[in-house]
Parts: sequence; C-alpha cells; structure tokens
Amino acid sequence: MSDHAHTFTTDRETVSVILPFELDSWIAQWSSLRSRMISGPPEEFTRDEWAYLLSFLDPHGLEDVFHQTFGRRTTDSAPLSSLYRPRGPAAIWLPNNASLLGPLMLILVSLTGSPVRAKAGSRAGDLAGAFHRYAVQHLAPGPLREYLASQVTIEQFSRDDPRNAEMSARAATRMIFGGDQAVRSVDLLPHEPSSRLFGFADHRSEAWVHFDHLTDADVVMLGRVFVIYGRAGCTSPARVMIVDGSIDQARALRDRLIALWPRILPGKPPLHVASQGIMGLQVALGQGWEAQPAPNHSAVLAAGAIELEEPPGFWALPIIPATFEQCLATLPANIQTVGHALRDPHNARYLTAIARTPVKRYVPLARMHHFGPVWDGWNFWKELFEVVQIS
Amino acid sequence: MSTLMEKPPFDPRDDSLFLDEMNTLTRWHREGCEPFRRMWPCEAPAKSLDALPFVHVGVFKHLLLQTSGAAHQRTLLSSSTSGAQPSRITLDDRSSTLQSASSLSILKALVGNDLRPLLVLDDVAALRQRGQVSARIAAAMSLKPLASEIQFILARGTPAATPALNVPLLLEILSRHDRLLVYGFTSVLWQAWGEATGRTPELAAALRGKTIHFVHSGGWKKLESLRVDRSTFDAALLSGLSHDSRVIDYYGLVEQVGVIFPLCSEGFRHAPRWSAVLVRDPYSLETQPEEPGMLQLMNVLAWGAPYHNVLTEDMGRLIPGECTCGWRGTRFELLGRVPKAEVRGCANV
Repeated sequence: MSDHAHTFTTDRETVSVILPFELDSWIAQWSSLRSRMISGPPEEFTRDEWAYLLSFLDPHGLEDVFHQTFGRRTTDSAPLSSLYRPRGPAAIWLPNNASLLGPLMLILVSLTGSPVRAKAGSRAGDLAGAFHRYAVQHLAPGPLREYLASQVTIEQFSRDDPRNAEMSARAATRMIFGGDQAVRSVDLLPHEPSSRLFGFADHRSEAWVHFDHLTDADVVMLGRVFVIYGRAGCTSPARVMIVDGSIDQARALRDRLIALWPRILPGKPPLHVASQGIMGLQVALGQGWEAQPAPNHSAVLAAGAIELEEPPGFWALPIIPATFEQCLATLPANIQTVGHALRDPHNARYLTAIARTPVKRYVPLARMHHFGPVWDGWNFWKELFEVVQIS
Repeated sequence: MSTLMEKPPFDPRDDSLFLDEMNTLTRWHREGCEPFRRMWPCEAPAKSLDALPFVHVGVFKHLLLQTSGAAHQRTLLSSSTSGAQPSRITLDDRSSTLQSASSLSILKALVGNDLRPLLVLDDVAALRQRGQVSARIAAAMSLKPLASEIQFILARGTPAATPALNVPLLLEILSRHDRLLVYGFTSVLWQAWGEATGRTPELAAALRGKTIHFVHSGGWKKLESLRVDRSTFDAALLSGLSHDSRVIDYYGLVEQVGVIFPLCSEGFRHAPRWSAVLVRDPYSLETQPEEPGMLQLMNVLAWGAPYHNVLTEDMGRLIPGECTCGWRGTRFELLGRVPKAEVRGCANV
C-alpha cells in the first residue's frame, strides 16, 4: 500500500495525516460491505447488533472519526503545523464475553491502516472474528480486503498463552478490555518503552431523566438502550434516575415502559431470559421494589427508593426518584456513561458538577452505546498516530 | 404430621385435602415471611393448585428466606457449578422431621425395609461443615434410616474431576455383607463405580452375586458428554450382581428437600401423595396440561421457609392418564434444564 497525505484543518491549525490508503476509497469500500450487510446478519450476531454495526459503518460516521480528531477535510494549501503518521501494530485484548466492542474497535483501527492482532476471549463467542471473516468473504477484491486478510489477525486463546507476550512485545499500541486485574496483567507483559497502553476496564452506566421532559420516543429509546445487553452492557443503563422526581413518577415511567414494550422488544426473549425475569421480579418484590414484569418476562421494571438493594440479574432495571445531588452522591466508582433526557442537560450547574465525578461520557440516551474515537476518557484513536511537529 | 403421609406415597389421594394443606402452609409463610408476603400480597385462599403462590428456584440464591415461628437449625446449600451462587435453604425441626419421614416412606417403597450398610460415594469431610449441609450429603443422609452402618467410600484426596473408590475399604465391606445400599451423585457413581469396578478383577469377583440397590440423583449432562446413556449406565452397575439388584434414579432438588421423584417401571416420575407437579409456560406462566414447560413442584413439608411451592428451571411435561406401573400421583417426564445462553455485554460478567 502506498502512503497518501490527507489535510485537515481547524480554526487553530492545519495538519496532514499520512495514511497507507486513499481515505475516500477506503470508506467507500467499507460502505460497499454495508450494502451487502443489509441482507441480514450471520448467525453469530443478533439483529440489533447487526443493525448497530450497519449504522457504525455509515460513511459520514467514518469520516466523522477524522473530523472529530483532526478537523474538517480541506484542499487548501495552508501552512501545516503537524504531520500525523500511524504508530504501527496494534494489539487488542477483547473481553471474555461476546460484545460489539471487538468489531467496532477493529473498524476504528482499520481507519489507521495499522496491522492488528486481536485476542478474543477464550470462554466466549467471538464477534470480532465472525465480523472479520464476514468482511473478508464479502468485500470485493481491493486494498481494504487485502488489508483485512493479510494484516488483521484475530485469535482465541487463554490469558496464560505465550502468544499474549508476543502480541504485547510487537505492539506499538496495546488496548485491553476487561477487569482491572486483566489490564494490570497485560501491562506487565514485555513491551517497547514507547508502546502505548489503553486500559478499558469494567464500567457501568446509568440514565438520568426528567420525567416531565420524556416523550414516548424517549421512553422507547430508554428501553432499547437497556435491552440490547441488559445490565451486562457497560454502556447500558444499570438504573434510571428520575432527577428531582417522585415515587409516583417512577411508577408512571415503569408503566409507560411496559405499555411501550412491544415497540422496544417485539416477540419473546430466549427461555432463560424469561426464567431470569420471573426470578428477578420475585427477588425485587421481596427486596421492597414496586416491580412489574415486561411482557413475556423479558425484563423487570422496578420502581423504588434509592436506599433499596439493587435487584439481581441482567434484566432488572431499577427506576429511582432522586435529587440531582443524590444522583451524584450515589454514582458508582466505575461509572462510564450517563445517558440523559433532561430539560436542560448542558446547564452549567450540571456540567460543573459532572466534571467533579468520574463520569466519562454524558450523552443523550440515544447515544449511550455510540462507540467512537474518544472512549473512557481517552482520546485513544488520535493516540494511534504519532505526531511530527513542523515549523 | 400431614394426614396425606398416613398412607404409602403412591396411593390415590383426595386432591382437596392437598389443596387445604397447601393453603394452610401458604398462609403460615405469608404471615411469617415478609419477602414472601411482598411477592404475593393477596390473602385469599387459592381455589386450585395453579393459583397457589410459588417461588422461583433462583430466588433462593439471592434471598435467605425464613419464616418466623419455625425453629431454624442450619442451612442447606445446593451444589453449584463454576462458582455460581448456591441456593440457601434454612432447615427447621418440624420440616426436618416431615422431610425425613417423606424420603424414608418413598425410599422404602423402592428398596424395602431391611437394614443394610449404606455406602456413600462422597468424602466424609463433606459432613464436617458446621451449620451447613451440602445437597449431596443431605440426599445421602435421607437413606440413613435404612442403614445398619454408613461408610464413605471415595478415596480421600482424589481430585473432584476424577473420583475414585477406596477399594480396600469396599473389599472389606463386601467380605462381610451380601446386601448393600449405595448412594452417589449420578456422574460420581459412574466415574468412581460404573467405570472402575469392571477394570479391577479382584473387585469384580468380590461383587459377584451380591444384592445392591444403587440410588442416584443429579443431572446426566456430564454423562451425555461421555456418551453414556441410561441403559449403559445401569448395565455397568448391575454387571455380575444378583437379579434382585436395582438402579434407582430419582429427581429431586434442594429446594424441595424431602420429596424425591423416582422413575417408575414404565419410565415416568410420579408425585407422592403429599406433593404435586405442575408445568407452566415460561412466558405466560399459564399451566400446561400436556405441553412442555417449566416444572413447578409443591409439597406440604416445608414450614421453615416458603420452599413448599417452587417454580424450577427444569423443563418437563405432564403425562395424562393412569400409569400401568400401578403408582398413582401425577406422572411427568423430565426434559432437562432451561437452556442457557451466553451472556453478552462488555461488563465484567
């Protein structure tokens, strides 16, 4: 692959990004795969997961990764302040349960053209590998297909396998999804002094809403961002806080979610989810929650006070009235995303208070799962490039 | 003592009497167990079995349910796989008496009254946890009233994945007795005894002509992975033994301690007089007269906590009509566990 220079500009500076491909053509090739993907997912993916991947591959979205990082694309010949070039081989350790993070990270790193070696969890399904195989099989011959086939490797092996050390030793950037212990163990593997480590450790998220501000569309969106992985998703809401709300509003939101559930999750869930739904409902009631089942026991929607112990299971969603101060005070230490449906979310009082918390993302409900070049507080995608200062 | 227990376990019964006893028990738990009352606040007696309040089996993993007024003694722990949280069932004096009487009555119907040595395929160390009893030990101890002596015959120190017999001890017991009762978890019985005894000529010779009743419980999942079916399992255990020897496979769970559901001669499981079985659709929770669904098990023995009526995660199907085996009581077929699927997500699960 030959190198191509692409120029981007902001109000402050103009930079050149050197890529081993022509960007428009590269994005067009991903877009061509998207057309093929519309016919339906391979068996490894749910329809929701596939739909999310389709939207992630939207050409404007892929271009936006560059715009968000370097500015708008330009053909002007303004003086350059910096050159950016890909740092080189990326090593990715994926979590031990299947999730879209693997395919999404693969797509993002492909936009640098750097070689990728990824380790999928040894005790889980491998969506990254499944997507990689699908892409290589269905892309027309061309640079993107050649890159994916020859420079991207996805393997499954255990944490004790010697290939972990090999991956680490050869990587210019190392990205690890997993618990704190997993991040520490990867950091202890041999690596070049210049190699960058990005640890995306275990997180949880929640939704903050003003009850009076919620439309039916917001309620459906809240349900949808919850059901994709339930509370097993690090960006799914593990609880809903009704800011400055009342228990009556919590009950009302629970009932609206149930009424709108056919738009959130039509059809029946797998048997084990229904069974866990029955169990979760009874435990929540036993704990003192005012809980109701979603249709077909696909989830438990539980209104109750902030002092109650959280009900168990991935499919139980607590709905809690609280003051803004209580929301802040009870944030978990590993908070990642706060999805909001608030009257004035960018109110200075909110933003300054959130700045003093560990919250990594504060986004509308619909964007809770949106993966991008900034994640967990890291501008990690920009760090996949090395900068050459020019004067 | 329940009046239902005054007759043999598989005799006919008056269903209205069972419903009355279940309503009494339900009221007792509603008055004495607050979490149960929160789950089922309606106080009216049920007019049919399917209207009686039940507790999902998974609830016992998350809440320690206890009904006040019972003299609680200790906690029974379910076996749990791969580090999963075990169920916790609190045992009390009154229920323990009823549960012992129940299991003894059912087992007598299967293996007779005579006392003989009980050989337990477990480690004696499993008995030594104060205040807690494992499901396997509780199942083995339900046979104690039929035992003239109890011996734990697993070799100590062998890995749990490859259990092995204490052969010298077994040979010594066989030299003194012609009739034995053996209890083991299904997979342990196969690995330690079914596979092993044929490989040891000395042991095979010592077993020849002896009368042994093997009683086993626990799932077949491990044996399915080893491609061992029921007929292979039974044939290996009974090889060389007297014609009076039998293999008795029963279904039971910690959350229904005291009630076991053995296979009858026709290959079905029957509910004893003091218990009942329903099948529910997992989505609507409607009862299913013949279609497969989640098994719900009831009994009139559990006073210490509301485990008298439990919705299990086992799939089953009721079999209509009377069984030609001669036993009465609802009969059913066990179809396996609710299928599990991988949990997806990125959180640390």
